Amino acid sequence: MASSPDLPRFRRRLALGILLAALPLGAETTFYQDRIGPILDRHCVVCHGPEKQKAGLRLDSFAWVMKGAESGAMVLPGNAAGSELYRRITLPAGDDEVMPTDGKPLLSREEIRNVELWILGGASATKGVAEFPGAPALGRPKPAPVALAPDWRPRADEIRRLETELGIRLVPRSQQAGDGLILRTAGSPRRGDDATLARLAPIAELIVEAELARTPVTDAGLAALGRWTNLRSLDLSRTRVTGQGVAALASLPHLEALNLTDSAVDAAGIQRARAFPALRRLWAFGAPGMVATEARP
Amino acid sequence: MHSPENPFARDPHLCSDHAGEGPSIWNLPGLPDALRREWLALETRRHFLGRGMQALGWAGLASLLGRPLAAQTAAGPAVLGPHYAPRAKRAIYLFMAGSPSQFETWDHKPVLQRMFDQDLPESVRGGQVLTGMTASQARFPIAPSIYKFAQHGQAGHWVSELFPHTARIGDELCVLKSLHTEAINHEPAILQLTTGNMFPGRPSLGSWLSYGLGAMNDELPTFVVMTSKMPHRTNVQALSNRLWSSGFLSPEHAAVSLRSAGDPVLHLNNPPGVSGDVRRAMIDGVNALNRQLFERVGDAETNARIAQYEMAFRMQSSVPELADLSSEPQSTWDLYGEKAKEPGTYAYNCLMARRLAERGVRFTQIFLRSWDQHSNLPRNIKLMAEESDQATAALVTDLKRRGLLDDTLVVWGGEFGRTCYSQGVLTAENYGRDHHPRCFSMWLAGGGVKPGLSFGETDDFSYNIVKDPVHIRDLHATMLHLFGLDHNRLSFRFQGLDQRLTGVLPAKVIDGILA
Ligand code: HEC
Repeated sequence: MASSPDLPRFRRRLALGILLAALPLGAETTFYQDRIGPILDRHCVVCHGPEKQKAGLRLDSFAWVMKGAESGAMVLPGNAAGSELYRRITLPAGDDEVMPTDGKPLLSREEIRNVELWILGGASATKGVAEFPGAPALGRPKPAPVALAPDWRPRADEIRRLETELGIRLVPRSQQAGDGLILRTAGSPRRGDDATLARLAPIAELIVEAELARTPVTDAGLAALGRWTNLRSLDLSRTRVTGQGVAALASLPHLEALNLTDSAVDAAGIQRARAFPALRRLWAFGAPGMVATEARP
Repeated sequence: MHSPENPFARDPHLCSDHAGEGPSIWNLPGLPDALRREWLALETRRHFLGRGMQALGWAGLASLLGRPLAAQTAAGPAVLGPHYAPRAKRAIYLFMAGSPSQFETWDHKPVLQRMFDQDLPESVRGGQVLTGMTASQARFPIAPSIYKFAQHGQAGHWVSELFPHTARIGDELCVLKSLHTEAINHEPAILQLTTGNMFPGRPSLGSWLSYGLGAMNDELPTFVVMTSKMPHRTNVQALSNRLWSSGFLSPEHAAVSLRSAGDPVLHLNNPPGVSGDVRRAMIDGVNALNRQLFERVGDAETNARIAQYEMAFRMQSSVPELADLSSEPQSTWDLYGEKAKEPGTYAYNCLMARRLAERGVRFTQIFLRSWDQHSNLPRNIKLMAEESDQATAALVTDLKRRGLLDDTLVVWGGEFGRTCYSQGVLTAENYGRDHHPRCFSMWLAGGGVKPGLSFGETDDFSYNIVKDPVHIRDLHATMLHLFGLDHNRLSFRFQGLDQRLTGVLPAKVIDGILA
């Protein structure tokens, strides 16, 4: 799981690297490298790559693609309609022969069109992206997931104990362990007080979001939150925290979203928050500082 | 099953209904594990031994976790959680039942202004089947919108003059103009939007979210439905709880419907003379009996029942607090209008939706009916717009200023589109429009969709889609995606199939509208 998905890509790069070394100078990114390779990597290489070679077919490099399967060539340069590879990706969902198999998501219209244009253009390894002006752009590749917090799973027992003792919830943001935990108090706002925050210090690095709206948290609690270094989102709406308390959050390196709606934060506090290093979204509707700002002509 | 006519019932060795009388189906040698698990999860009214231990174990676990029993699903404490990090934590779905015409709302068709009373070209209609209401019309005279359109905001959305408030929040909206459906009548079309299927009996969208993600606030239902008073009543759509039922999912995933008059939830208050302590003791007693029943019978629905008693008890304190609007500042009434003070109005429901969102309710669905303008469209759509425009815009504005819009998805729309030609007599001031499933408009806001985007296009007659069609399945897949759920993987084994909200036909997330 951890390294295998990158292996084929690495090999493809390697193969391309060797290929590119032999190319004329000035060949920037080729269409194959930029479009076709990533499409095959994404949809096909799990079954047609170094680990498995279904039907004797590998699709993890240009050379393999052109070599074809046991039964022969899968790509006929210039002839998309006659290319088995193209036929397989254009069959309707549910067809016995459609690729990829096993109900995996089919290629998007844009991806199919890129493959088609590439074959029609001679299935070249060297043509540049600029030579395919009609090729639709592909969706941005999903950025590799970044761990926002250490894996919480080894500490599940401790987390469960804290939930029970403190009457709060510590909820995984998603099934990806690196997405961290949410501190949730919506069902028991009274329990989200300064004492609770102090008790959470041992697992604070796991918490990425803290939902403390409508809790009795005070500036003293914010002093503790100032050490929750992985915090990205903090909701303090309808609390009594003030502009002074907010200062304690200044050192949080990742805090992106801060909700101070209906809090007691003054204009100076809002100014302070605006200067936080990572802050991108700030709300302070109904807070004295905001009301004052709004009232100014 | 046990009727004497049933030949198998007489043979104890073929009957699985009474453990001890013969081998149970789930003890059959070679039964695949998955099937056995499904059998166990779904089994109702089947007696078997050894279940008691499991039941006790589960109750023990619930208390260990320190969560009320209701927070656990009937099939066990497993809540999946999002597959990947979500953009939306909650959604508010403003369901305009009856289907507002796209021509007077979001799909501006200036070409039609020059074609008043001309016949719809046959080439456009392309042999499309019509409803019984217009199929017999001799002519299909084009009816341009009587209401004017103008562009608004940075985004430059074309908005009808019927919606001056919504026009002002245009930059928040992602307008989809290319929705389509196969359903041509209200009930199946509404069902398809609320449950993903035209036939009743499937879990609704809110139930799938509850099943997949669990509750954020155990004191309130995860899924709430509100219906709104109507400013006029013509061709009113029937609403029933099959639109918000949990289908084959455990009943605790069904919506709680808040009533529009009197107490928001019926029978929530203790009857005169019954104190909270007495009520608590009574519920404990009933639950103890139900737990015994579960130990004996192993019927998962017993646990759902226990969970519902617990939820009702907790709502005794959470709902009055929710419905107490006395703490709302004047700015709230300035925004939503005075009508929001009157329980049951659409404006009141919009305000309640914001309060529910603040309190962590995952999915709130508000129905506003009577958009079905087969005749007298100009007059009636105006009444509907006047009833709803300010409150709709207020809700989006309020969510935004309070920092909730970021992770709250708002959806506005009906169940299908309407025809470009008039149903019945067309005059300069009056016309009607029939149902049209081939294209219709909706908008989304917040929750990780691109603000200020117009997506999809229809032809000059808003009859056919010419760019980026969005099937209801795609809308559902996209909504689940925003909640961090892969629509292919959010499934429940029932009747031998891994059932999904999006069904078996291909559905795709609309990448183009994701922020
Ligand atoms: C889940 C595994 C799987 C994935 C993913 C997959 N394939 Fe296949 N592929 C198979 C199997 C199994 C066969 C052999 C059975 C058949 O021919 O249908 C096959 C056969 C083929 C063949 C026919 C080979 C021949 O000898 O005729 C082609 C072409 C092909 N795949 C292309 C692709 C392409 C292109 C993709 C990506 C878009 C892809 N496959 C993704 C499993 C997979």
